[in-house]
Amino acid sequence: MKELNRREFIKNSTAVTASVATVASGISLTTFAAGPKETDPVTNEKRWGMLIDTNKLTEVDIEDMVSACQEEHGWGEETHSTGDQKPGWIKKVKVKDTATQRISNLALMCQHCEEPPCVDVCPTNASMKREDGIVLVDKHRCIGCRYCMMACPYDARSFVHEDLSNQKEHMPRGKGTVESCTLCVHKVDKGEQPACVEALNSDAVVFGDLLDPTSNIHQTLKRVQSTQIRADLNLNTGVRYSGI
Amino acid sequence: MSRLLVVFLSVMLGSAIAHSDYHIPNLGEKATEFKDEGKEAHKREGMSHAASLILQRKMHPELLLHKRDKTLRQGVRGGYAQLKECVECHTSVDKNGEHVPINAPDQFCATCHEKVGTSLDCFSCHRTTPAEEL
Repeated sequence: MKELNRREFIKNSTAVTASVATVASGISLTTFAAGPKETDPVTNEKRWGMLIDTNKLTEVDIEDMVSACQEEHGWGEETHSTGDQKPGWIKKVKVKDTATQRISNLALMCQHCEEPPCVDVCPTNASMKREDGIVLVDKHRCIGCRYCMMACPYDARSFVHEDLSNQKEHMPRGKGTVESCTLCVHKVDKGEQPACVEALNSDAVVFGDLLDPTSNIHQTLKRVQSTQIRADLNLNTGVRYSGI
Repeated sequence: MSRLLVVFLSVMLGSAIAHSDYHIPNLGEKATEFKDEGKEAHKREGMSHAASLILQRKMHPELLLHKRDKTLRQGVRGGYAQLKECVECHTSVDKNGEHVPINAPDQFCATCHEKVGTSLDCFSCHRTTPAEEL
């Protein structure tokens, strides 16, 4: 056998290393490429919103919406929380015009603002807005400081004060974190409607994509007079009301 | 000689008692079932079963961390690593036919986590048993 000198040895070993590296990277590339298919991230081509017609909405309807929300997300059975500590993702609010004495009832929840004050104040980026306009709490990051609850003009957020078990699979909830209406994001991602809208099943509450010109909500908003609560704050809410 | 025998016997007895007292972990009846049936859980395409199992054991926190941010913050649903899928298969059923929480002592998650002394925070919020059938 021919004796290898130093130069030839280096030349040969480099070639072998290079070919091994090429093959190995090919293998790892195919391994990662074969992963299961996932859906694409949401984009800002959509903006989810809701229009609530308070003229058509009765008090019973609002109670139905609240209990549908409780059932969907599993809140409202906190035994150790008292009074103000109890969570309320969606509330029945009665407003009275002092001049005319007219009373209207609203279902009030997170308004899914375009410029959410809760996101501005969050020190850990736990309070966040998805690209499609849904405002959420990332409970993995939430430290429970409750700044967002202070910042929210709609009092839409609540804090979990006690240990919980038997949560819903799609809605993890735990002590020491803040929570609020998610616009039933788990259902919306599947192409369904939020639980409160489904429960009501009337045209008193319309849900849909505000940016899609063919959607029911877009066309209704074009036609009827509607308003945002605390429109003076310029938050551009996703939840709109008509009849107040 | 008899003294030596006594010492030897007592050592044997001691080790036998120590062995029977040895803590045998219960990694979830369902997981054991999987193994007995030879089902290839976690088998990923283009990867051997052993390799994908090692990947799962070593990297499950990374896989889940990556997935949780994508799901919550970007709305990417489905895919390979989902905590509820872990819970689905790895919880045991007790004598009454009810699911045992996966983070209970001696259950699938807790066995390793207790051994290495790392806290298991997932289940202060996430559901610990498979969702009830509706």
